[in-house]
Amino acid sequence: MNIEQKLRQLSKTTQHQNVFSVVKEVTNLKLFKNSRDLSRLQQFYISYLYFYHDIYMDIELKKVNPKVLECELYEDAYKIYKREKKEDNKKDSKAKDVHLVFSNKKMQKPKRGTN
Amino acid sequence: MDKKEMVRQEEIDKSIALFNDKYELAKVEGMIKDNKINFTYKDKEYRVRLLNQKDKDDLDLLRRKKFGQLIQDKDILFEKTLIALYKEKGISIEELTSKLNKLNTELHDKCFKLGEYISKGETESVLNTYREEIEEITNNIYTVTVQKSHLLEFSLEKQLEHFTIKILSYLSLEVKADEKYVKAFDTLEKFLVEDEELVEQTVSYAVSLNYKL
Repeated sequence: MNIEQKLRQLSKTTQHQNVFSVVKEVTNLKLFKNSRDLSRLQQFYISYLYFYHDIYMDIELKKVNPKVLECELYEDAYKIYKREKKEDNKKDSKAKDVHLVFSNKKMQKPKRGTN
Repeated sequence: MDKKEMVRQEEIDKSIALFNDKYELAKVEGMIKDNKINFTYKDKEYRVRLLNQKDKDDLDLLRRKKFGQLIQDKDILFEKTLIALYKEKGISIEELTSKLNKLNTELHDKCFKLGEYISKGETESVLNTYREEIEEITNNIYTVTVQKSHLLEFSLEKQLEHFTIKILSYLSLEVKADEKYVKAFDTLEKFLVEDEELVEQTVSYAVSLNYKL
């Protein structure tokens, strides 16, 4: 049995996603008996809960076709694409900011020796 | 077997697979609740648990002792020295590493493209092409990784890692005696000479629970 693959399968289910949504909202509810010193499996499970939560949200917002859930490769590929696209957008907006700063500086350059 | 029987057999197989899947999912669900993995081996009930602080200190001590032994052994070489030795014999580990890096970049690019096509709702045939290409790259990565890790298997670093996994397994294994779980083996040596199947099972569970991501 591939434990990690099974955990991924579990975190994708509606039941586990619902529990996750409730736990996120209610502070005194816990996913596990322990609240710290998480095991490798627990960390893996939580990361996949977030992973699938994000995909379900994108499907809901019509950002992606539900076909993405057809296989794990599609899910992983979509997440890679989404992350990279986000990083590219960040870089683009940073570049625009730099441009603005420079153009502003040019406009506000103080005149010397006028007094 | 006639057609009717074949269909019936297929249905039985499907039901068994579904049942097994549900059983395994329930088992895994139990594992993450309290970080204890129970299993039966040769009529004895065992469990593997997450290491506590005392166990972690013991693990560190045993690991340091082993490192002290390995470093004095002239037959065991550091990875760096082993790589240089291989180079002299015409085997390039650097070449394998760069091959792996290239394959990983290729895999990443293909995945990115596949993700873009999924996002844009491309046709099944386009997705399948990418899927097949990714499978091929993944297989190649697996082959090169195995090749590289076989070559470096006897390095000091790898020896220490193997040993650490064994200690970790020994420390986390318990057996049920009089309705209570107690340490399964008094010493690491006793654990290691035990039935290979039990050791293998324990290692797989202990690594799942304890190894950091």
